[in-house]
Amino acid sequence: MSLRGLLRVPFDGLDRFCARAFPPAWNPMAQLGAIGWFLFWIVTVSGIYLYVFFDTGVAGTWRSIEAITHDQWWAGGVMRSLHRYASDAMVVMVLVHLSREWAMDRMRGNHWFAWATGVPLILFIYVCGITGYWLVWDARAQYVAVASAQLLDALPIFGEPIGRNFLDQASVSDRFFTLMVYLHIAAPLLMLLFMWIHIARHARAKVAPARGLGAVILLTLTALSLAWPALSEPPADLDRMPEAVPLDWFYLGAYPVMEKWGAAAVWLGLAGLFALLWLLPWLPPRRTPPAAKVDLGNCNGCARCFADCPFGAISLAPRSDGRSYEQEAVVHPEQCMACGICVGSCPTATPMRSAPDFVAGIELPDRLLAALRREVQAAASGLAGDDRVIVFACEHGAAADAAGGNAARIALPCVGMLPPPFMDWILSRGLADGVMLAGCAAGDCHFRLGDRWTAERIAGQRDPWLRERVPRERIGVSWAARGDRGQREADLAAFRARLPALPAMARGEKRERAPARPFARRAWPKPLQWGAWAGVFGALAFGTGALASWPDLRLLQPDEAVISLSLRHAAHTRVECQPLTPEELMKLKPNMRRQVGCPRQRWPVYVELLRDGFVLYQGQHQPAGLWNDGPSTVLERIVVPAGRQALTVRLRDSGREQGFDHERRIEADLAPAQNFVIEFRGGQWSLRP
Amino acid sequence: MEPALIEWREDFRIGLPEVDQEHRELIDAINRLHRELVVGASIGRVTGALGDIHAAISSHFALEEKDMQALHYAEFEAHKREHERLLDEILDIIDDVTASGSYDPQVLSSRLADWFTGHFRTFDARLHRWLAARH
Ligand code: HEM
Ligand code: SF4
Ligand code: SF4
Ligand SMILES: [Fe+2]
Ligand SMILES: [Fe+2]
Repeated sequence: MSLRGLLRVPFDGLDRFCARAFPPAWNPMAQLGAIGWFLFWIVTVSGIYLYVFFDTGVAGTWRSIEAITHDQWWAGGVMRSLHRYASDAMVVMVLVHLSREWAMDRMRGNHWFAWATGVPLILFIYVCGITGYWLVWDARAQYVAVASAQLLDALPIFGEPIGRNFLDQASVSDRFFTLMVYLHIAAPLLMLLFMWIHIARHARAKVAPARGLGAVILLTLTALSLAWPALSEPPADLDRMPEAVPLDWFYLGAYPVMEKWGAAAVWLGLAGLFALLWLLPWLPPRRTPPAAKVDLGNCNGCARCFADCPFGAISLAPRSDGRSYEQEAVVHPEQCMACGICVGSCPTATPMRSAPDFVAGIELPDRLLAALRREVQAAASGLAGDDRVIVFACEHGAAADAAGGNAARIALPCVGMLPPPFMDWILSRGLADGVMLAGCAAGDCHFRLGDRWTAERIAGQRDPWLRERVPRERIGVSWAARGDRGQREADLAAFRARLPALPAMARGEKRERAPARPFARRAWPKPLQWGAWAGVFGALAFGTGALASWPDLRLLQPDEAVISLSLRHAAHTRVECQPLTPEELMKLKPNMRRQVGCPRQRWPVYVELLRDGFVLYQGQHQPAGLWNDGPSTVLERIVVPAGRQALTVRLRDSGREQGFDHERRIEADLAPAQNFVIEFRGGQWSLRP
Repeated sequence: MEPALIEWREDFRIGLPEVDQEHRELIDAINRLHRELVVGASIGRVTGALGDIHAAISSHFALEEKDMQALHYAEFEAHKREHERLLDEILDIIDDVTASGSYDPQVLSSRLADWFTGHFRTFDARLHRWLAARH
């Protein structure tokens, strides 16, 4: 079984569960993206509220957030918690949404666009979340700052290590903090732009969840906020290292990985993950069925296909063939998913036409209507009795092949592809006693709008209307998710059972123009549904609240301290300046001739730190710069037992083989959790505090 | 030669070139069928031709409706409902011919002519007047 096949198993189960527990309009699985938009707005509104009371200077920020949290716990406190928990919920939503789109294989071929524009959204979410935890400037923020700097400094991008901004309390500046505030505001704006691009190819993208579902989400988050308010840690103090910090595992989960396996492991893991995500749509097996094709001879530019295409793949263009029409339909093949929904909308798509190989204004090259008509005729000739059913089934919902007996199944990419005149024709010509449409779960069409358009065409609310004279009891519309075969089988059985009892179809008889008669939904009894609601949202709330600050990440044991070793120092040049020989002088360009040559290359800096005679740290650091002519940089944090200790720190910055150029012995008495800074500066070792 | 069943008249014109062109083509199609009816064409040929007319009328109505909506035609709803009723009717005509296995050319022809010109004279004419009054 493929990875995707495996991924499908839990989603099939979830879909079945949701079908039993939620009314179709409230099915969260069918509107994960819309839930994401809703959460985004919750985060935005609560963020704006917080910003009003937020002190953007590093000195006042912690206090201002304490005031918001406690002095107005009923407003600012709730807003703060909503801000945190809705952001966490967004991570959950993205994870489920992404896995589900993967499981449904909605990223291949022309679906790549939403996928590829979704991947950067993950990045933006994380920039928002990490900078957000930074802004509180408590002990957790301190850890986030120090650890983020360590992560970034592992990349060969920044000349000067960012970590030096967080070496100790004296190094902290407003400048860096302000940068974080800007990032925390700019990232969501960019994210909004990308969210919009993400759905730019979706006609009528669902960007708001059903109202009731939205209310339940907001209420759940509010309840969580009141029960388990978001709180700060003690204020940041870079002269100490917090023993442990509560982590938000949704946003900060990579940091423990770094603590355990190092920054390189994190970057490699992330690079691999993102490369995989990006490549996924293009990995084999590739499936790109040919795009819909317009036949100008049959198209008068009526715009129905244009109105119905769920992927904005059709536009109307000025007439190109000299006929007197103003417009014609044009398919953009790179955007077409080959769902066939446009075929179902075209008024020329009727099986009453006389030509054996008629073509409609728009058709799928892989599923021509003339062939479909022959297939229906062949299938009908194999049926007999008074409960003959022709089932049109899509490939994405629950299987309908359990039909058996007196039912014939005909596959379509989407039930929305079936032009309503086909239903009329089958029933009025007596090819079958009933026509069944078997699609995906209601509101969760693989091709987004096929279920909706089908239902509306039958109900006479959307062109092309199913003719009034077609008896609706003989049209069965079954919506069932892939994993929900029970519903499908029940629908089929109910449909076939009711057919023989229906009055014979009288010609010319007029009826109500009405929707197809719905099948009973196999939902659980109401109390069980309520229980499922409470269970699902309770569990989600509990999980979100818990993982937002638990378990702690332990940084130090109770009796440990930290030594921060920092230097930025240019070693001696490898070759001293020397007078040039006349031959050497002649080789230089005339304007470059000097009497003395000064090669710029420097020696590496070798550093050692010893504690009571044992080596705690040693390292050779190459000079920076293209010509190895810059300073060498060291920034190390070393955990040591607290207490009295004899330290020796020394470095070599010349070509000598033995001994050291700068050495210092230190008698230190380190308090638990102290951050003891040893820095090489201006040619000598200095200690802080 | 048999005279045409429906003669094109200037007042069938409503003032939208693409719609008027289709009106002409539809009249031609019905006249062609009429000439076949009077010489006793087979049932299959007749229902086939009616099916083609059904398809052509369906897309004609779709186009006319698109134009009416684009122009914000005041009586769009009523006109659209009439289109839908006419589409029901032609299918009933086809079913009658199919079911009885025979047809009376005179009756069928006049039924078609009424069905067709009736709409011209009423709903499409009203659209014509409305369009003319706009200028
Ligand atoms: C903030 C995060 C995100 C939001 C708010 C979001 C929102 C949405 C929305 C509203 C839709 C359209 C639903 C519809 O109307 O049919 C959608 C579709 C989709 N999204 Fe996302 N999304 C997010 C992240 C992602 C990510 C990270 C990925 C994958 C890497 C992704 C992949 C997709 C795919 C493949 C589709 C379906 C495209 C199709 O039907 O062709 N999304 N998303
Ligand atoms: S097949 Fe589907 S995606 Fe392609 S043009 Fe038709 S409606 Fe649009
Ligand atoms: S629905 Fe058919 S006739 Fe109308 S614009 Fe599209 S292809 Fe042309
Ligand atoms: Fe007309
Ligand atoms: Fe009309």
